[in-house]
Amino acid sequence: MVKPLLATLFLIALALGVAAFLVHRNQSLPDSNSSLGSSASGLDFKPVVTPKGWTKGNPAAKTVLVEFGDYQCSACGAARQTVANVLKNHESELMLVFKQYPMESIHRNSMIAAQAAEAAGRQFKFWEMHDLLFLHQRDWGDVPDPQTFFLRYAEELHLDLERFKQDLWDGKIRDKIYRDILEGQLASVRSVPTFYLNGSLMPRAQGDAQFEEIIADAIKKAK
Amino acid sequence: MSKRLLLGGVLVGLAFVGMIDSSYVGLSSLQGFVVPCEIAGGCEQVLNSPYSRISGVSIAWIGFVFYGWVTTCAILTVFGFPRWLQFSLGANIPAFAFTLYLLYVQAFVLRAFCDYCLLSALLVTLILGFHLFAKPWKSAS
Repeated sequence: MVKPLLATLFLIALALGVAAFLVHRNQSLPDSNSSLGSSASGLDFKPVVTPKGWTKGNPAAKTVLVEFGDYQCSACGAARQTVANVLKNHESELMLVFKQYPMESIHRNSMIAAQAAEAAGRQFKFWEMHDLLFLHQRDWGDVPDPQTFFLRYAEELHLDLERFKQDLWDGKIRDKIYRDILEGQLASVRSVPTFYLNGSLMPRAQGDAQFEEIIADAIKKAK
Repeated sequence: MSKRLLLGGVLVGLAFVGMIDSSYVGLSSLQGFVVPCEIAGGCEQVLNSPYSRISGVSIAWIGFVFYGWVTTCAILTVFGFPRWLQFSLGANIPAFAFTLYLLYVQAFVLRAFCDYCLLSALLVTLILGFHLFAKPWKSAS
């Protein structure tokens, strides 16, 4: 009976070891789009991620974190608090730029949510709407008419509702979102949230502590 | 090669893959890793959903315990104790029912499928198939 039990324990340990190796490898590998520095064609093509967009933190900071996000993505919703904590810890040394990257193919209400955030931005309440959209993404995420939720949030933020309704479907707002999407596509964003730190693709962090570590390291280097 | 060795070996192989699959998802969730939203969709919706956890613990660990149990019983079968297949079959039936429930959740509630979960569903089904082929209840009577 000892031999079979030893064999079982060996296989369980081996399976755990293989899984831990795969998790570790996934953690240390940057995203698949990180190989952009040298393209398959041999050209030294490096996408430019501009620090233009909705910003938070110190506009004069040497360290710039650009996020491509989608309001209906649960991973982006989870990252919101992580980013907020990092920004709070490094308020004077970091600038956050948020860019819209709604993935309509998998998140049917993501585009109109991005429009709602941009429309609120026209009344200087972008970040407030940004937070509300992420906090309540489960409420409006899969409903046929998410607009009623967005109007409720606009009311909560004391926005001019008539103007908000008009801006929600303004072509210029949609153009702005499409420009963000195009920038993301040129930078080969394949998943959200995707972060760029000082213009370079940030490796995928496993948890808040590692995210903080990467940012703190970049800030130290930038000094 | 005897039927006992072949069956035991196949079951060990399937359960071993299942242990890697489930512990990969379980370890990822332990590290607080939130699956990002890929253009192809699927995994993030399933693995970040409330259905993926029971009291904060990833259900992948339930799968890991199941595959660990099947491995134990299959190895005992290889070593000449085929009656243990009854015990793994006993675990396999509720595991298959739970798999059907998870497939229902993915198809009709979340409307998204995760490759890791689909692999596990395939493995549980194959393990059940091999158990039914082995007919361990016959050796009990």
